[in-house]
Amino acid sequence: MLSRVAENLYWLGRYLERADNMARLADVNVQATTESTPAGGGSAWEAVIATLGATEAYAGALTERPDLTLADYLIYSSYPESLRSTVATARSIAREVREHISREVFEEVNRLYLGTNRGGTDERSLRMFYATVKRAVATILGLFDNTVLLTEGREWFHCGLFLERAEMTSRIIDAKYFILLPEPDDVGGPRDRYQWMAVLRSASALEAYRKQEHGPVTGPRVADLLMFDQDFPRSMVYCVAQLRSHYERAVVQIPMARSVHAAREVAILEYDLRAADARNVIRSGLHEFVDDFQARLGVIDEALREHLFRAVPEEPEG
Amino acid sequence: MDLFSGYRARSGYDEMIAPDGTVRSPYRDFRERIQDWDATAFLQRQEIADLDTLNSGITFTVYNDDAGTERIFPFSLIPRIIAPDEWAQLERGLVQRVTALNRFLVDIYGPQDCISDGLIPADMVFDHAAYRLRMAGFRPPQGVYSHIAGIDLIRDSEGVFRVLEDNLRTPSGVSYVLENRRTMLDTVPDLFPLGRVEPVSGYPERLLEMLVAMRPEGVAPDETRAVILTPGAANSAYFEHSFLARQMGIELVEGRDLVVHRQRVYLRATTGLERVHVIYRRVDDDYLDPLVFSPESMLGVSGLVNSYLAGNVTIVNAIGTGVADDKTTYCFVPAMIRYYLGEEPIIPNVETFTGWREEDCAYMLDHLEELVLKPAEGSGGYGIVVGAQASAETLATARDRLRREPRKWIAQPLQDFSTIPTFDGAQFEPRRADLRPFVITGDGSWVLPGGLTRVAANAESYIVNSSQGGGSKDSWVLRKQPES
Repeated sequence: MLSRVAENLYWLGRYLERADNMARLADVNVQATTESTPAGGGSAWEAVIATLGATEAYAGALTERPDLTLADYLIYSSYPESLRSTVATARSIAREVREHISREVFEEVNRLYLGTNRGGTDERSLRMFYATVKRAVATILGLFDNTVLLTEGREWFHCGLFLERAEMTSRIIDAKYFILLPEPDDVGGPRDRYQWMAVLRSASALEAYRKQEHGPVTGPRVADLLMFDQDFPRSMVYCVAQLRSHYERAVVQIPMARSVHAAREVAILEYDLRAADARNVIRSGLHEFVDDFQARLGVIDEALREHLFRAVPEEPEG
Repeated sequence: MDLFSGYRARSGYDEMIAPDGTVRSPYRDFRERIQDWDATAFLQRQEIADLDTLNSGITFTVYNDDAGTERIFPFSLIPRIIAPDEWAQLERGLVQRVTALNRFLVDIYGPQDCISDGLIPADMVFDHAAYRLRMAGFRPPQGVYSHIAGIDLIRDSEGVFRVLEDNLRTPSGVSYVLENRRTMLDTVPDLFPLGRVEPVSGYPERLLEMLVAMRPEGVAPDETRAVILTPGAANSAYFEHSFLARQMGIELVEGRDLVVHRQRVYLRATTGLERVHVIYRRVDDDYLDPLVFSPESMLGVSGLVNSYLAGNVTIVNAIGTGVADDKTTYCFVPAMIRYYLGEEPIIPNVETFTGWREEDCAYMLDHLEELVLKPAEGSGGYGIVVGAQASAETLATARDRLRREPRKWIAQPLQDFSTIPTFDGAQFEPRRADLRPFVITGDGSWVLPGGLTRVAANAESYIVNSSQGGGSKDSWVLRKQPES
């Protein structure tokens, strides 16, 4: 498969997953503040933007357009961080790799893109918009699984998707622990519990939590589910395990010299996650742990680019 | 009272309605089938068709506009319908013309008999911007230069089909032919005369067969790797490049995906380098190889031309075909047909004046307001001056340019070419339409039944180019009805 196409499919998976997560995050957080104000007095949008790691970019945008609200910036603006731009990027990549995805997948991505023309920014319209994005991405992933050939490209798509999901889940946990750092008195209190439920909902994990854990919602248990539960399809360990298996299938025909770099990073990361334990992680610093996790995803991404997608061509055989 | 009862054809030739108001024979079945439709029914179907076009991303990019604006190609549900015997005649004429043009190309890059025999002025060929000196003495596989040709036809007011223009470089539009048919079958299946329309879906297979047949010597057919080379997603015809790659199941590549080693061309794949044998390029000559042509080109592949001339890769269409599809060369095509084939042209040209002949030039300057002035090199409808519709100022500028560089211009009388009913939102109006059939040439020539019918943006316009707001229609070639 062409290296350029492989890279594009990887990014298609990443951008679609990112759009889905953004819609979910914005939805849950803004809805949560309708009932109760978040800790620290900041707005729900501030929590969203912090989770997405776009606080600085927003500050930059404000110097150009001082009246730009957070909601506008994150949802409809033409800045690359917005949900709308994320969808537009996914669509332009899909257009470039159209020969490698099915007609059904392309048309669904295209329909999603055509539907992101600016709507209202009142809460009701925004929620309808999030619902559209989430349903469209779910449809696209389903169509992808059921209509795209089982070739290398399909594996690259899934590598991108699971790498992005792993990162997003880690950001959701980090945001609660670090950015929305609760007042010591609050820990275990109703507000704390309420916020942890919002975190679970951001990761579509509330129902999974109820099935896996029978007690009340507590920080360590939520962190355990989102990071280390091997049966929950959005947990960090699950995503990394999926990343490994899709990567192994993607590189079956690829010379070891090219594939080994990312393979090594992914495998070690998976072992480390499987060996870790939520209580220890929280005791020794959850933020540091997540930080390190994200840095290692960055190393994997870099290895893919350097050794597979943009490798300098060697001499042909013979 | 139905949709067509108010329809009045213009003074010229209408494809559907004869001057006496009767329906022409190829349209009779169609006319009966659409009998009961009212405007609402029509608009509903049109809406479904447009939505289908938008959702499937059938768009093109307009230049000279906001950078990279994608637009839908407007689609009209009333087809062009061509009678079986009329098509048989056109088919013969198209094959004849493309055969002569390929012979001409082999000749001017080879023995140059047509020049020594005085058929074509030498400087017309050698001073031509699209003449490629590097090709001199090179004979491409099977002597084919223009493997894919798009010949633009119009039907004049007498009802005679004429060639308006030859496109021998990288003609586009065939994806619209295939997609238009699919849209028609999806949205108005009830308008088709059952089993009587020639299918168009065989095109990609014919194209792939030809590409494989053009492989370099010593490569087995089932080992042949063919690819499409595109300038990239920002190109106006990107949809088509991607469409053809999908339809043929071959790789769509950009210049940066290819690399040349020891005069062989390779793909940059995740697994390493993979050999390429045939390149269906949709990139102009000038951007193919920065070592040979435009050095600042980012679209091309360094070393590609050498590898081609060494016979290790075949480029389709060949390099240098532009010298044969230019509007000046066009004036000489009927003579070429007689010279190379010893036959009379089956499809005539449109009467054309060229600045290369002094008497033509004088006539052009005197009669500019009756003529359509076109740049001899150029496409897409850019730079055309329609004398009858131009302001005094535009005409003065045009005369000035013509005097300064007469050889860069040709002129034709304003052709009142045929119209086809097209819905304007409220009713049908006659709009001018041309027809671009596609001819694939490998071992022999094959013509895709029908072709792309392009239709002007409004009732007055003579320009059908998509870049100027024109739309398209499905084109039906009817099969002979079995004797019953």
